[in-house]
Amino acid sequence: MKSKNYSENIIKVFKKDGFVLSEPDVLLDSDYIIERSGENFRKIMLTFEDDTGKSMCLRPDLTVASCIKYLKDNSKANSKIYYSGQAYRRSKSLKKVVNYQLGLEIFGSKNKSLDDLKVLKTITNSINKIKIKNISIKVGDVSLFKQLIDSLKIPERWRMRLKRHFWRPKYFEDLLKRLETNSDVDPATVELDKKKFFEMKNIDQNKEVASRKVSEIISRFDRKIKDPRSFKENKKTVKIIKDFLKINCPLDKLEKTLNNFINNNKLSKSVFNDLSSLKNLSRLNSKIIFSTNFGRDIEYYSGVVFEIYNSSKKEIARGGRYDGLLKSLGAGKNISAVGAAINLNNLKT
Amino acid sequence: MKSLITIGLPSKGRLREGAIQFFEKNNFKLTSNGGDRNYFAKFENYPNIKIIYLHAKEIIQRISDDTLDIGISGLDLLNESAANLKQKIEVKKKLDFGSANVVVAIPNDWIDVQTVADLEEVSFDFRDKKNTRLRVATKYPNLTNNFLVSKGVTQYKLVTSLGATETYPFIGSSEIITDITSTGKTLKDNNLRILKDGLILKSQACLFYSKKKAAKLQPFLNSLK
Repeated sequence: MKSKNYSENIIKVFKKDGFVLSEPDVLLDSDYIIERSGENFRKIMLTFEDDTGKSMCLRPDLTVASCIKYLKDNSKANSKIYYSGQAYRRSKSLKKVVNYQLGLEIFGSKNKSLDDLKVLKTITNSINKIKIKNISIKVGDVSLFKQLIDSLKIPERWRMRLKRHFWRPKYFEDLLKRLETNSDVDPATVELDKKKFFEMKNIDQNKEVASRKVSEIISRFDRKIKDPRSFKENKKTVKIIKDFLKINCPLDKLEKTLNNFINNNKLSKSVFNDLSSLKNLSRLNSKIIFSTNFGRDIEYYSGVVFEIYNSSKKEIARGGRYDGLLKSLGAGKNISAVGAAINLNNLKT
Repeated sequence: MKSLITIGLPSKGRLREGAIQFFEKNNFKLTSNGGDRNYFAKFENYPNIKIIYLHAKEIIQRISDDTLDIGISGLDLLNESAANLKQKIEVKKKLDFGSANVVVAIPNDWIDVQTVADLEEVSFDFRDKKNTRLRVATKYPNLTNNFLVSKGVTQYKLVTSLGATETYPFIGSSEIITDITSTGKTLKDNNLRILKDGLILKSQACLFYSKKKAAKLQPFLNSLK
């Protein structure tokens, strides 16, 4: 089957399952994306200045572009959409600059476990339709990690830190090392700064120093030096996190495996309080592997994540839940969402 | 030496002084020290070597586009350059002047911020509370991006500055800065403090040459001590 036929057939399945075509803008406002996704994102964006000096870019990703369109159209937009088009990313290899993306999204997803299943099901149906056999599916849930961290005895600052950097495995390793060795706050410097601390307590608390209020600075300083720091506890915490990230089992053994992990580490029984969405996925008639150390390369994933492989172990589709992205793109409130995309390049071979 | 060699020297400041001394020490005496409005010079008794005085940043660019064969400039400026430009330039030798560090500096009164890890945390706070990103003023956008991202700081945005970057946090143009400093005095005078692990690059003056012309230049380069 040719790739054009592939996409035509896939789109047929998308439509049949109730998804409506969305055609997001090709040109986006670069500053808007930088403001929300960070300076590091600039590296992959193809940008130019228009006549007025405003910085514009070609859409780097159709999920982000579709979200922007959804927000712009406000309530008029359909919330179950599919897209089919090109995304453009800066790359050392010219062949990788233009990427054809074919995928779907459910914005404002109300019933999480139903919609997670719906997205995965539509994707597997469309893969079936183009007659690709013997696929395997891998799933994870990045919210489980957050639930685990919330249950551990560690300083609040560390809790936030570990959650924020879960999606950057390499830096995350550094963090664990720092936590394990307690090399965080240097007592000598703290003594030195305490002097200054008392001085600052006596000045106008509303005064701003480079956009930060004096009250904000001294309260964070105070919190920081009062952080409990127990070497023994930290070592134990790191071991639990490392154990957790080794979990890898068939999805139907999920509960048993997590219970073993909880018992071995003497954790509270209610650490993982919501497995309904994951368990619901096992209703699919496919072989599904669950892994905790998975879905860690994209910052915006917040819940269930999955990847689908063909018989030669190439990734042919991936997706997941991203409940925070629309808010970070400027929606006034949390709008939950889940989506997936098919990798046509790997389908061809 | 038969063919012509073109050398670029910094047109002002400590780098210029150091570069002139470096060649004098090697028994190359300049006919003009670029102090006046004369941008060209020669070495006495070496008619085949042409000297051009240029801005230190331009020396890197002109080696990469073949205007210059050899140049003296700062390592910071080479490392800040785009990858395709860096590929064309080789460091022959690190010289014993112009040493300075590119660093991350924050307002002295941010006593709760000592390390880059603190900064990372504050930058998240900043985004959550004010819904904008922490602004970093710099003359070194590339070095700054690579450094901050490698240290886990992602919630910031750059403000490019051409000079007097130290003032930015106090005139409301940015919250923190990265800049080059040799003694740290200017930073201190402007109520800024270097983060404990905020060293981005140890820089110094270097003798650079064009990779493409290596064969032709080696005899001359090897004669320099």
